[in-house]
Amino acid sequence: MGTRYRSILANSWSLLTFLLVVFITFTSATSSKSASSTGDSVVVILDPAKKADYSIFLEELQAKGYTVTIRAPKDEKPLLIEDGVPNFSHVVFLASETKSFSKDINPQTLVELLSSGTNLVLTLGLKQNLLTSLAPEFSLLLPPPTTPLVSFFPERPEPPSVIPISVDTTSTPNDSFSVLSSDVGGSIWFSGTAFALSSNPLLFPILHAPAESFVGDLSDASGLVSDALADAAEKGGEGLWAGSSLAVVAGFQTLVGGGTGHGTDAGSGLEQQARVAWVGGASLFSDEFAKKQIVEKVHQERGMKVVGNASGNKQAALDITGWAFQERGVLRIDDVSHHKLNESGAVEMYTTNDEIVYTVHISSYNPSTRKWEPSSGLKDLQVDFTMLDPYVRTALLPVRGKPGAYSTTFRAPDQHGVFKFVINYKRKGFTHLHHTMTVPVVPPRHDGYPRFLSAAWPYYAGAISTSIGFLLFCTLYLAGEAKEEKKTKKE
Amino acid sequence: MKLFAFLSFLALPLAFAASSDGKEKLTSLAASGNGVIKLNDEIFDLLTAPSRDWSASIQFTALDKRRRCAPCKEFEPSWNAVAKAWTTVPAAQRDHHFFATLDFDDAPGVFQKLNLASAPVVWVYGAARGPYQTGKTQPLKYDFSNGFEAGPLALHLSNHTPVPIPYKAPIDWARWMTVISGLLGFALTIRFIAPVLQSRWTWAIITICTSLTMTGGYMFTRIRGAPYTGADGSWIAGGYQNQFGQEVQVVALIYGTLAFSVVMLTMIVPYQSSPARQRLQIYLWSGVLMLVFSVLVTLFRVKNRGYPFRLLL
Amino acid sequence: MPTAYPLPTNVSPATVANTASLLRIVAFGLISAAAIASRLFAVINFESIIHEFDPWFNYRATRVLAAKGFYEFWNWFDPTAWYPLGRVVGGTIYPGLMATSGVIYNFLHYFNLPVDIRNICVLLAPGFSALTAWATYMFTAELKDPSAGLLAAAFIGIVPGYISRSVAGSYDNEAIAIFLLMFTFYCWIKALKLGSAFFGTLAAVFYFYMVAAWGGYAFITNMIPVHALVLLLMGRFSGRLYVAYSSWFRFVGFQPVRTSEHMGALGVFGLLQIVAFASLVRSHVSSKQFQNLLAISVVTMGVLGAGAFVVMTYKGWIAPWTGRFYSLWDTGYAKKYIPIIASVSEHQPTAWPSFFMDLQMLIFLFPAGVVMCFRDLRDEHVFVIIYAVVASYFAGVMVRLMLTLTPVVCVSAAVAFSTLLDTYIDPTEPEATTTEAPTAAPTTTTTTATATPDSKKIKKAVAAAQAGNSASSIASSTFNDIVSATTRKGKSSKSKGIWGADARLAVLLNAIGMLAFFVFHCTWVTSNAYSSPSVVLASTNSDGSQHIIDDYREAYYWLRQNTPQDAVVMSWWDYGYQIAGMADRPTLVDNNTWNNTHIATVGKAMSSPEEIAYPILRKHDVDYVLIIFGGLLGYSGDDINKFLWMVRIAQGVWPDEIQEPNYFTPTGEYRVDDRASDAMKNSLMYKMSYYRFAELYGNQNAVDRVRNQAIPKVGPTLDYLDEAFTSENWIVRIYQVRKEDPLGRDLKSANAFEQGKKKKRSKPVSKRRVIVN
Repeated sequence: MGTRYRSILANSWSLLTFLLVVFITFTSATSSKSASSTGDSVVVILDPAKKADYSIFLEELQAKGYTVTIRAPKDEKPLLIEDGVPNFSHVVFLASETKSFSKDINPQTLVELLSSGTNLVLTLGLKQNLLTSLAPEFSLLLPPPTTPLVSFFPERPEPPSVIPISVDTTSTPNDSFSVLSSDVGGSIWFSGTAFALSSNPLLFPILHAPAESFVGDLSDASGLVSDALADAAEKGGEGLWAGSSLAVVAGFQTLVGGGTGHGTDAGSGLEQQARVAWVGGASLFSDEFAKKQIVEKVHQERGMKVVGNASGNKQAALDITGWAFQERGVLRIDDVSHHKLNESGAVEMYTTNDEIVYTVHISSYNPSTRKWEPSSGLKDLQVDFTMLDPYVRTALLPVRGKPGAYSTTFRAPDQHGVFKFVINYKRKGFTHLHHTMTVPVVPPRHDGYPRFLSAAWPYYAGAISTSIGFLLFCTLYLAGEAKEEKKTKKE
Repeated sequence: MKLFAFLSFLALPLAFAASSDGKEKLTSLAASGNGVIKLNDEIFDLLTAPSRDWSASIQFTALDKRRRCAPCKEFEPSWNAVAKAWTTVPAAQRDHHFFATLDFDDAPGVFQKLNLASAPVVWVYGAARGPYQTGKTQPLKYDFSNGFEAGPLALHLSNHTPVPIPYKAPIDWARWMTVISGLLGFALTIRFIAPVLQSRWTWAIITICTSLTMTGGYMFTRIRGAPYTGADGSWIAGGYQNQFGQEVQVVALIYGTLAFSVVMLTMIVPYQSSPARQRLQIYLWSGVLMLVFSVLVTLFRVKNRGYPFRLLL
Repeated sequence: MPTAYPLPTNVSPATVANTASLLRIVAFGLISAAAIASRLFAVINFESIIHEFDPWFNYRATRVLAAKGFYEFWNWFDPTAWYPLGRVVGGTIYPGLMATSGVIYNFLHYFNLPVDIRNICVLLAPGFSALTAWATYMFTAELKDPSAGLLAAAFIGIVPGYISRSVAGSYDNEAIAIFLLMFTFYCWIKALKLGSAFFGTLAAVFYFYMVAAWGGYAFITNMIPVHALVLLLMGRFSGRLYVAYSSWFRFVGFQPVRTSEHMGALGVFGLLQIVAFASLVRSHVSSKQFQNLLAISVVTMGVLGAGAFVVMTYKGWIAPWTGRFYSLWDTGYAKKYIPIIASVSEHQPTAWPSFFMDLQMLIFLFPAGVVMCFRDLRDEHVFVIIYAVVASYFAGVMVRLMLTLTPVVCVSAAVAFSTLLDTYIDPTEPEATTTEAPTAAPTTTTTTATATPDSKKIKKAVAAAQAGNSASSIASSTFNDIVSATTRKGKSSKSKGIWGADARLAVLLNAIGMLAFFVFHCTWVTSNAYSSPSVVLASTNSDGSQHIIDDYREAYYWLRQNTPQDAVVMSWWDYGYQIAGMADRPTLVDNNTWNNTHIATVGKAMSSPEEIAYPILRKHDVDYVLIIFGGLLGYSGDDINKFLWMVRIAQGVWPDEIQEPNYFTPTGEYRVDDRASDAMKNSLMYKMSYYRFAELYGNQNAVDRVRNQAIPKVGPTLDYLDEAFTSENWIVRIYQVRKEDPLGRDLKSANAFEQGKKKKRSKPVSKRRVIVN
């Protein structure tokens, strides 16, 4: 009875939120564009029954100006891809516990979405579903199903599978973009599975698991944890998923323009670049965790004091989706130009040993103003001048006074051929910058060489001697004629 | 536990001992065999032991009469020559590479094991351990595409030996002697054969013969190494772009006859004194011309099926 | 005096001469017409199109020349060839051909004749063949007489050996080279006869033209010195020789003298100076001493020169012989060290049938002609003899050098034939005792142009008649020669001639029959064998009608219209020029095989498995791979048949990675069916050739019609390439190289994923249980 009543209530509530969502969708559709650099439309694949659990997250998205469409896993419509054209620019996959989906939602479709430039936020569940088979393609190593990440530290009333992860444990290398902004104060509540990352340059961790956590099975209460850890330790930790090298959130940037940038690979390919955020559990986005307090013991003069802070989940969810939807860390090559030193205007071919000036303009996307702004911030940008192998590889330094312009001057190698200017800037979290431009380098013209070569003396000598010889020959020849006549006369 | 440790303690020196004295054995064998180790089953296994710290080049051959392996006999000398050249290398490097010969009749088992269907074959086993260790475990096969000569063989094997094989082609004294003696003989007899050399017809004959052989396709048989006759004894090779040695002679003969008859008609016959004989000769040579030419055409039709024309026959 | 047939007596010598020259002109006009017409079979059977492979480059270069002018052409760097190395065209080619057609083009346009450059290129070769006929005429006329010249012109006009390289559309260097060759030789002979510096210079000028036009100029560079040398050794030094040779050589002197090809010329020049000096001395010292002096000086010079030459070659001061030159002498050299040269079909040795095919009856008239050259052994005859020996050797070594043999064969055959005709048309009948020489015995002009009467011949007849009684009479050189020849043959001076008309008739009919047969032969060979522009193939249907197979152009135009301008196409080098010419796309390698490594790279890519080939393709920015496959149609000149050469050339550079034996079955067969070796089955070339080939046959088993082998039902699969285009008869297949996978996987596993196969976990995992307390 009670349950039944509650379910009805839940349904009506969900219906209500749905109407609300639809309403907001319309309004925001008419309102200004979203913070993303690639598009406003978001489809959230989510069981309608669970919709209420993520209301905060969804509202925040809409507040950012996204048009959010909810699609139940079983629904036939709206299709993700129609006639090879993606219907949405971002997909959030929150149905982590669902097992069966309508047929157009499958790993192949998701990969196809990526290659056509749609961004994904994928949340793994404890049960096995299509994501479990998709994850290996992104070189994620998943623990066996139904084994959540557990940790007994710090001591807390929550079950060991609900873990507070403090953000400052996440270490992002300097050359990569830190996805979680500093607004994520304190810790993040997490519950779900963790995964190991195999070495794929496109994949990088956003949030690591706590050092003392590990992956274990909670399904029933038999056996001892000490044994579990012990026999794992005996095997040298083989098969034990533990420690801070595991990640609970990881980012993946698809590869585009990795090709020759030439012929059929031409085109900057920026618009096709897509990002994927892998999250160990959908609960990270949930209202429950967003509202949940994090209780910490703070040392004071007089013993301990227990304080409760708001968790960083809400902000973290926004940061993760913000990065995935290409709001932040988005770069673009506006313009590439090259010309001879002390000359202006492009040339279609260079001569060997020319001094070449190469300039590139780069701008980055600013989600707050929603505009592209020139960015001079890149420290380690470089350009190759390559034919089969790079002949020149030099740093591109920002030009003072010209925001967003990077330039360098180098001398063309003493080797003719079809060379390529190659910019290949791949940093974790940032958009990949890849640009190639071919230009032939030709030998000097026939009159471009020095007039007199010491090496050519044999030929000069030959020529001169021949002409002298010609004169001598003429004289001798005439003389000889005369003599012959004389001879004939004598005979 | 303890036992295991003990065993391993025992085993290690044994292994080393095995390889080291095996090496001495091989060295002595090589020295005795004039650089080439004559292989049988167990020496083969020793030589190609997985724990070898030496490399080895092995010639698989079948020199026995009954095998009737002509290429084997052809290749044998150059193999021995290269192996002999290797013996001149200082021992430090020499003992890291061995040359060996395995005859089919000594160890047919090895042939089956390596399923070798043909001979001669040369395989190079790289060193599995030691200073000259190579990553490859599989033996490399030597490609006979550029012949059985020792020069290319040594050149190729030098890629796998510690130091290049100091092989030098032997000086062909016999040829030099013949050349020199020929020159001397010529110089001595010059005054006797001078009139012959000064006669234009000597040179004419030389010229004609040369051009006849050349146009008979001699160079083709020379370069392609075409046989004198076909395997089935047929003297004419099928196919437009192919011919046998005998065809050169036949064709050259035909050309020669035709040319000769023309020459007779133009240069000899007019000088005949009696009309009867002259007339006879004219008809004779015209007939020869006609007949041999049609023979030639028929021959050509055999080579080139599509040729539509024919003469008398 | 008796004659075999009645002669008109009331014709004045002047009339005879005029008629003769008129007839000569008419005959020559007809010959030129025949020469040009017989080369138009290609245009008639197919269309006005450039043939073969190399002509496509010449055509492209000519267009550049015509469009941009000579200086731009000189500096032309072609970035689309040999991508990404590029090719310096201007400095590395023989511009003679292009320059010639460029001049013609501008000339015509100056007179407002808007002729398309393509038609000029197509028709250049036939035009020059007429000129060749003329040069041959002049040459032979110098050798014997104009009637022989006309015969020679007729021969070279229609002989297949020359037509094979000069049909309309085969726009190649040889087209003009043979004319230059013959004319240079003519000038040389002329210079030698007259001792005129003018002709010597003319020879040098045309020699220059030749140098600019054809790599075969080395032939002249060595023929003329050899001739001079032989003349010296025969003790035939004369002021004429000196003048002719010096005036020729002083221009050749400009040539880089450091290559061995030119050494001979230099040496002979030096020798000539010595001898000239010696002959100067001769006028002062007595003959005996002179002989010794000459002998000694010659010998010492020879020794010194040879020694110096050897030393310099050894020290490397002078360039060693080029590879192609080696392959001429050491016949095994090419196959061993430069497989690229050996792989070219026209560098194969010549079997006798092709001699007969190309020269027919001339091939046995040729020795007879040489014999006659020996009879009256003047300087020019010596030249022909040397030429005959050398050229017949070269022609035996390489099929393409048949071209250099053809002229001398035509010349000497003409000499032989016209001598035959002269002998049997000459009406004078010998007598037992001739009383006195007849005055000019005019002969009628019979139907054949070759029988035109001619003062020289009459003189010979006269001389012959006089040979009987007067041995010590002022006589022409011809006379002397005949006498000497005959006396050498042991025949005392007898009267020369033929009795009776029937004998003459027999021989003449025989001769005319042979000529007719020759004409039929040439027509057949030209129309059937040498007129197909290997770009367009023709096959005859069951009902005998002709069916045109146009796959090449279909594919090339597909490339041109459906791929980006800068899409790089990889193919075997045979098709490089055609792709550049017809599809206008960058190619990796083409028919001027200047970079062995680059070609070997392509060979490696073709003969390696996909996953090894893919990085090579990406590194070279390859977008499309084009292959030729004849298995469906039975077109034998396809890439699978050339595959072993690719393997060999790749093996030359990467002997450890590519090995030829791996591509044969264990029993040493070259198979493509299910018994094919693994290396063969995994090679890119095999996969591309037979990709989806079995599907075409449905249920019955697929058969490769070239190899006559059954292709396995389950064909090869491609992970790194996509089939982009396959022509109507499957002769040309084009594949597109796939891009890297967006997820950074290797394309093989990406494909597996696409087909829905699950990727197995890369790490075994075991479940752990923990207690909750």
